[in-house]
Amino acid sequence: MSESKKSPTSGENGEDTGKTQEPGQEKQAKRAKAKINLNRLEMPKQSPEVRRHNFDEVATGYTYEMAMEEARRCIQCKKRNCQAGCPVGIDIPDFIKQLQENDVEGASQVLKRKTSLPGICGRVCPQELQCEKACTLNKKGAPIAIGRLERYIADWERIEGTSSMPEIAPATGKKVAVVGTGPSGLTVAADLAVWGHQVTMFEALHVAGGVLMYGIPEFRLPKEVVQREVAYVKSLGVEIHLDTVIGINYSLDELLNGPYDAVYLATGAGLPMFLGVPGENLNMVYSANELLTRTNLMKGYLHPQYATPIKIGKRVAVIGGGNVAMDSARCSVRLGAREVNVIYRRTRAEMPARLEEVENAEEEGIHFHFLCAPIAFISDGRSNVAAMELIRMQLGEPDASGRRRPVPIPGSEYIMEIDTVAVSLGTSPNPLIASTTPDLETSRRGTVVVDELGKTSKARVWAGGDIVSGGATVISAMGEGRLAAVAMHRYLTE
Amino acid sequence: MFSIVEHETLAPQVHRMSVKAPIIAQKCKPGQFVILIVDERGERVPFTVSGWDPEAGTVDFVYVEVGDTTRQLGAMEVGDSLAHFVGPLGLPAQIDHYGHVLTVVSGYGVSAIVPILKALKERDNRITTILQAPDPQTAFGREPLAAVSDRLILAAGTQGENAATSATLPIRELLAEHPRKSIDRVVLMCSICLMRVVSEMTRPYDIKTMVHLTPLMVDGTGMCGACRLTVSGANRFACVHGPEFDGHKVQGWDVLMARRCTYADDSLLQQGFQCRGCSQW
Ligand SMILES: Cc1cc2nc3c(=O)[nH]c(=O)nc-3n(C[C@H](O)[C@H](O)[C@H](O)COP(=O)(O)OP(=O)(O)OC[C@H]3O[C@@H](n4cnc5c(N)ncnc54)[C@H](O)[C@@H]3O)c2cc1C
Ligand SMILES: Cc1cc2nc3c(=O)[nH]c(=O)nc-3n(C[C@H](O)[C@H](O)[C@H](O)COP(=O)(O)OP(=O)(O)OC[C@H]3O[C@@H](n4cnc5c(N)ncnc54)[C@H](O)[C@@H]3O)c2cc1C
Ligand code: FES
Repeated sequence: MSESKKSPTSGENGEDTGKTQEPGQEKQAKRAKAKINLNRLEMPKQSPEVRRHNFDEVATGYTYEMAMEEARRCIQCKKRNCQAGCPVGIDIPDFIKQLQENDVEGASQVLKRKTSLPGICGRVCPQELQCEKACTLNKKGAPIAIGRLERYIADWERIEGTSSMPEIAPATGKKVAVVGTGPSGLTVAADLAVWGHQVTMFEALHVAGGVLMYGIPEFRLPKEVVQREVAYVKSLGVEIHLDTVIGINYSLDELLNGPYDAVYLATGAGLPMFLGVPGENLNMVYSANELLTRTNLMKGYLHPQYATPIKIGKRVAVIGGGNVAMDSARCSVRLGAREVNVIYRRTRAEMPARLEEVENAEEEGIHFHFLCAPIAFISDGRSNVAAMELIRMQLGEPDASGRRRPVPIPGSEYIMEIDTVAVSLGTSPNPLIASTTPDLETSRRGTVVVDELGKTSKARVWAGGDIVSGGATVISAMGEGRLAAVAMHRYLTE
Repeated sequence: MFSIVEHETLAPQVHRMSVKAPIIAQKCKPGQFVILIVDERGERVPFTVSGWDPEAGTVDFVYVEVGDTTRQLGAMEVGDSLAHFVGPLGLPAQIDHYGHVLTVVSGYGVSAIVPILKALKERDNRITTILQAPDPQTAFGREPLAAVSDRLILAAGTQGENAATSATLPIRELLAEHPRKSIDRVVLMCSICLMRVVSEMTRPYDIKTMVHLTPLMVDGTGMCGACRLTVSGANRFACVHGPEFDGHKVQGWDVLMARRCTYADDSLLQQGFQCRGCSQW
């Protein structure tokens, strides 16, 4: 980000801003409609050749001029479909309106009404499936770049060093424990703190942020951005206890029998899944979680300034086709692998990763191998992985997820030489809390069972985010948090 | 921050540290471990708790200087603080009345096993302990060990000699008398090579043999899978399903040993760890 102009009170084009304009608005909107601008502004990016060698952010963000230009494309239509498409219901037309009036600070205030994590959401939300999909201009194929604008506003605030604070309701005297400091927990903590409750968060790791810190890499989501938003939540009066594992240091019942009136569980889905094929425990076969944790949380890419090492060979295979696989592959490139291969058992069309990230990976020279899956890993004779045996697949009938099921083609086995593997098949919830809380209902997949407002089977306990969904998105984790926070607030003030 | 309240040297490059951590001290059980981070740029490194005091709110562990973190610890003083300290992690060691328990310890295991033996003693077990050390002069921690053992055998080899040989001699003798003088259970907290060898020695006798495994760990809460191993055909995480496992059910010892040394290089302070049999050297 190079620009950081203060929001001027008068517009650049000499037009007046503020309330005096209201009567003319209608006309203005009509005029805008007449000549809709379909030139959706791209965000500047580091070139693939450069970014292959660093962990700096890939997309460098809009400048002030770009943000204003993009914001002005918004026709302020009456429908507010974009807002309906947002899982936390951000007042999108309103913050864009503030931008159109060159009032970035005002825009930030509008954002903060519904989200405490705009810098994060602006970067990692799948807007193409949510707000931007619903945007009226999407009918013409050029939705407003809502995510990029959201990011711009959050970055502007971060660089300016200001922070617009919401009004905090008088203390209710109620105490709430939030377990897990990922996006779901942070959302609940912020909401309840603003509504006057005393919130304490517990985090097993040594930093707050959940997957935002340990999973998603620096080049997609700078850790400074996450920590700034964590600090914002703290500034609302939320206390965070790090290095504290619920289920070990305190059981859920100890929290409920102790000072807390209610508990929100947001411990995510951290348990990595493996293929279960021979040789999977050979040396240099990583779970994606280990590779990403060493790299991002522990800053292995800065070793030896940071003490934790991360070893990557020359030819890497990443197994899987989701966001986690893309992140593992792109970290491997940056850690010096000569060749990185993504192995996915269906086709490009079925890949669960965001298209944008797949394209970024392709630009960075990552090879994609579709319709194949590993059936064994082969040792070099010294317990290191040296190759893997793959089998080709074809797509059969659709399965429960609606995607066509991959079916192995007999006799199609072949060998690929590799020296590092990142198994990235997805995760499931860590059973620690469930196993120490007999009366908490869980599903066969280990997820916590809740009603539509996030209430669990256990009195005074709500849950949301990946621990409930089994693995979804930042914004859905926040959306579930918002619903639960409302329900908890109702319970606490009844 | 977690302040260091005691720090003593037990032998060259072996120290005991006592850390103020009241919440952890409430919940420790024998055989569990903590993970510490020295400073904000530090690595997460696991250590077995060798003692704790719920009243004083302190947790102790004994460590051997092998690399960066343990060297850094060695230079710290009472009053200094550790950035992070989390635990107790892992499952506690299994404790019951078994009868005659044979235990083999070396390195930090000499101290880290003491809480386990104490608990076994409380369940009326008779305990024979074999302490393996490079030589009698550097053997530390003998007294606390003797206090919780009915019999203590010092197996001191000379440096450079195959580390496994000396402890295996008394074990062989004891096994020769089994079941006349029966061994009902074996608990091992020593080098991985020795745990592997002893597990194979007791297998023909079908004596339950528990090993305390220390694969590389990152988070220590079941999130990264770095510490995984195969036990009876299933994938197990040492940090949540262990660190104590049935040595006869552990599979793929070669891989386990190789993984332990993924990041090892010649900077290793304990040359003895570059074991001859290991594939990574
Ligand atoms: C590599 C990767 C890339 C991703 N990319 C995207 C993306 O681009 N866009 C997107 O929308 N989503 C993405 N996701 C998914 C998204 O990050 C998750 O859906 C979201 O973080 C879930 O939030 P959460 O709050 O439920 O849990 P988490 O973020 O998982 O946080 C849970 C927290 O609880 C802590 N915890 C666990 N157990 C305990 C305990 N017993 N006691 C105390 N604390 C505990 C954990 O340490 C963790 O900090 C990605 C996920 C990964 C792994
Ligand atoms: C559950 C658990 C409990 C533990 N308890 C203790 C304890 O109570 N006291 C203690 O001193 N240590 C204990 N350890 C081992 C300790 O965590 C490691 O020695 C750690 O690597 C030291 O960190 P470092 O940065 O000093 O050395 P590193 O830089 O990590 O060490 C350099 C290299 O030495 C190798 N190495 C380290 N230890 C051994 C070993 N024992 N055998 C063979 N190679 C080794 C590793 O490959 C490592 O890469 C435990 C480990 C685990 C998993
Ligand atoms: S150390 Fe990460 S799962 Fe055990």
